[in-house]
Amino acid sequence: MTQAKLKIAILGSGNIGTDLLIKAMRSPHLECCAFIGRNLSSSGMVKALSMGVTVSAEGIDYIVKNPECCDLVFDATSAKSHLVHAPIFKKLGIRAIDLTPAKIGLMSVPSVNLADSLAESNINMITCGGQASIPVAYAIGQTQTDVDYIEVVSSIASRSAGPATRQNLDEYIKTTEDGLKEFSGAKRTKAILNLNPAEPCVNMQTTIFAKVKNPDIAKLAEKLEGLVKKICQYVPGYEIILGPIVENDRIVVMVRVRGLGDYLPAYAGNLDIINCAAIAMAEEYAKATGNKSLEGKTDA
Amino acid sequence: MRERKIVISDPSLRDGNHAVQHALREDQIAAYCKAADAAGVSIVEVGHGNGLGASSLQLGEAATPDHIALATARANLIKSKLGIHVIPGFATIERDLKPALELGVDVVRVASHCTEADICERHISYSRSMGSEVWGCLMMSHMISPALLLEQARKMESYGAEGVVFMDSSGHYIPDDVRQRVETLVDGLSIAVGFHGHNNLGLAIANSMAAADAGATLLDGCARGFGAGAGNTQLEVLVAVLERIGYSTGIDLYKMLDAADLAEKILMKEVPTISSVSVVSGMAGVFSGFMKPVTRIAKEFNIDPRDVFFELGRRKIIAGQEDIILEVAKELAQQAGRR
Amino acid sequence: MKLECQTRIRHDCLQVLHGREKALDVLRQTNLVIIGGTGFVGSWIAEMVATLNDEYQFGIKLSLISRSTDQFAIRLPHFAHRSDVQLIKSDVRQLGQFPMDADWVIHAAANPDVRTHASNPLDTASVIVDGTMSVLRTAERLGRLKKLLYLSSGLVCGSQPASVKGVSESAQGAPTPDASFIYPNAKRFAETLCSAARAQSRIPVLVARPFSFIGPYQSLDTPWAQTTFLSDALRGHPIRLQGDGQVVRSYLYGSDAAYWFLKILTAGQAGDVVNVGSPVGIALQDLAKEVAKNFEPSPDIMFNTAPRSTGKSAQLLPDTTHAQNDYGLSVFTPLEEAIKLTAQWHAMQNN
Repeated sequence: MTQAKLKIAILGSGNIGTDLLIKAMRSPHLECCAFIGRNLSSSGMVKALSMGVTVSAEGIDYIVKNPECCDLVFDATSAKSHLVHAPIFKKLGIRAIDLTPAKIGLMSVPSVNLADSLAESNINMITCGGQASIPVAYAIGQTQTDVDYIEVVSSIASRSAGPATRQNLDEYIKTTEDGLKEFSGAKRTKAILNLNPAEPCVNMQTTIFAKVKNPDIAKLAEKLEGLVKKICQYVPGYEIILGPIVENDRIVVMVRVRGLGDYLPAYAGNLDIINCAAIAMAEEYAKATGNKSLEGKTDA
Repeated sequence: MRERKIVISDPSLRDGNHAVQHALREDQIAAYCKAADAAGVSIVEVGHGNGLGASSLQLGEAATPDHIALATARANLIKSKLGIHVIPGFATIERDLKPALELGVDVVRVASHCTEADICERHISYSRSMGSEVWGCLMMSHMISPALLLEQARKMESYGAEGVVFMDSSGHYIPDDVRQRVETLVDGLSIAVGFHGHNNLGLAIANSMAAADAGATLLDGCARGFGAGAGNTQLEVLVAVLERIGYSTGIDLYKMLDAADLAEKILMKEVPTISSVSVVSGMAGVFSGFMKPVTRIAKEFNIDPRDVFFELGRRKIIAGQEDIILEVAKELAQQAGRR
Repeated sequence: MKLECQTRIRHDCLQVLHGREKALDVLRQTNLVIIGGTGFVGSWIAEMVATLNDEYQFGIKLSLISRSTDQFAIRLPHFAHRSDVQLIKSDVRQLGQFPMDADWVIHAAANPDVRTHASNPLDTASVIVDGTMSVLRTAERLGRLKKLLYLSSGLVCGSQPASVKGVSESAQGAPTPDASFIYPNAKRFAETLCSAARAQSRIPVLVARPFSFIGPYQSLDTPWAQTTFLSDALRGHPIRLQGDGQVVRSYLYGSDAAYWFLKILTAGQAGDVVNVGSPVGIALQDLAKEVAKNFEPSPDIMFNTAPRSTGKSAQLLPDTTHAQNDYGLSVFTPLEEAIKLTAQWHAMQNN
């Protein structure tokens, strides 16, 4: 039985928004009904036009004027703007996936808290380090006793970190640490971000350390295997390259994320993992609401 | 006659921490601070080797938490200023920098890899807004040209730094390199310029002299060169040399020598010397932390680890690219096989 | 194009590459994109790449992006069937289709024709400034990009002071900000954009400042000394000099220029600026005489054909110390030879 596609809009026509556009257009569950920014001649807009997508340079006003245009919106603008947009989306009954540093809604990791995320009208994808490490931290929380401390060190290519990332390192650290705590139950958490200027550009790499009482690696490995399978469904470039092992009394797991290279370079796995996770969540919304609307359908 | 003031910043209790896996204790901090203060050292820098908030499993856990180390230092520094090294990405403003300033830190040095100055914007701005003395630091500075170094330094100047220190993190420079960079920076900036040397090629003192002569007004040095590998610029020697050539540091030479004697006795397990590996990593300009993996992998492939270091230097490999060591070893082994 | 003309170009490239091809080894099996690739510079680099591929098995894949790909196909038909070359028709300001697997990019898109600058200064500026911005934004997304070389202009530092023998890369002058100097001002700003892109987005971009060139593939319809003298002579007319012939310029041959650009692209560091041109000056009256030598009967040379002095600065020569010392580059084809080759090539074309 085929479902109607979920109507989505993308607000923010920069590189992130354009990458989302390409992913959305490829999805069997999503239909991009509007690609909205502020500058019609930006390369993202040109791309959208070439794909036959409706574009607008009116920003949030387009959605206010056309509230029926979408059921879900990806906000890839800025933290400041999202704070203005969020109440508007709520009033119009449009679900929001927040890709800005604002993060006022629920932290969402598709492989971990899908059901909770589906129930919320505003979710965010935390941080790139968060998306990469939280599934592992979650697995540790689920399989180990007494998780005292979790530390996550992420290394991304310098070229994949634009001014927005660089000016928000503190927010990145805090959000990631909060997310780790929330999903693992660890007493203390720490996040570190390294920008690596090496050429050729390095892939995103994240190391998760954990101090737990009596580590049970076998149990952790089993839990991780299942989780990684789920993650790879929406982030094909996600791979555990080391561990889980115990070294010097701590659990160590190393994850590498290779980007799909849809619009952003393949080394920008950090940007790709967020976008893939966001698209995955939208698709789950699509599947969930598709089922609901079929159940309670009266008139088309 | 030089006749100029040089500010001495002493990171014995910070960079030195690398030599002892960040194990410096309260009593050691207290004792050395007293001695440095008595000698008249302008700035005493304290903390984990990688700075504020860097104590971690990745980089090594500090024996003394930041807030205790800083409180201890503060209590024992009367005339000297208390300084900290801060790397954005490790330290955050809310969690680390704000409390440190509340504990009485006087000088904040915000540091990044030499190409990444723009990650320092917020930490520098914040420190300035809190009335602190703020410097920018550019690490592994030999990896970019003087012109690009100036560009990065200018970014820090625009954020509000009152001075920029460029670091010879791998001990690679010769005096001419330093002179050229200081001249470029002094010419292109309206803020102060400082230099932080390492001794892999036995040139830390000469490099520091060249920096001063070219217009640098701040120099780093550690007691007995206390630091990882070949060690830092040996501070008491630097103070003596500066005095000899006519610069004034405000430091009492005898008391500085006493502080160095104390440091040797109570801070370090051994006085730093230049090992063969240090010579090679210095010449190659390679991050010293590669020593262990390079030695291990070179053994596996039956090739000379020194050849590996030079090739890594040629490829401009930096920390985090350990996987390239394997690649290089394979290639060198193949080439050796063909000969 | 006649076969002998193709052969001559191939021979010129081989001459320059002989003993120097190893320095370009890093180009082997990589993808090179030239934007604005169908003008003089693009054509010569294409010929150099074809030579590297045919004679030294370099395996370079070349993409040429330009608004004028049709003209290229006509002027250089021997490239039409090469499997290692693809032509992409596009305006640099709206780069739609772009080879995302590019390892090297040379941005050479701009029209150096002073007549266009005079009649269409805004469009001239737009192609240079908007075009460069577009290239830099695209470069942000090129995952394999090793280096981006921007071709600026030897004019960005304004006129050459009488006190110096050659304009160095660090010269402090600038062209005056008025419409007459729209081209060098736009180029200067584009250079600044490149520097900003490097500082902000870490794009590995470096800049070459071309001075004057001479050689086949340079349209004789352009109002430059070297082209008008040749054009006059080929038509059997006297060579006309507008001024007193004392103005001094220099000319680098096409094959030399192509090699210089490839060497700088591959060996240069991000942020570098390098003059590309011959440091050897020649007074225009001597240039006229050199050109005349290549024709039988030798054309007359007429001076002061303009009502009054053109007021152009006495000389414009690059200081090539940086290119020489740090890239090992020098003039491989002496000017006399360059003029001879060019005159012969055009003569062959016309027969």
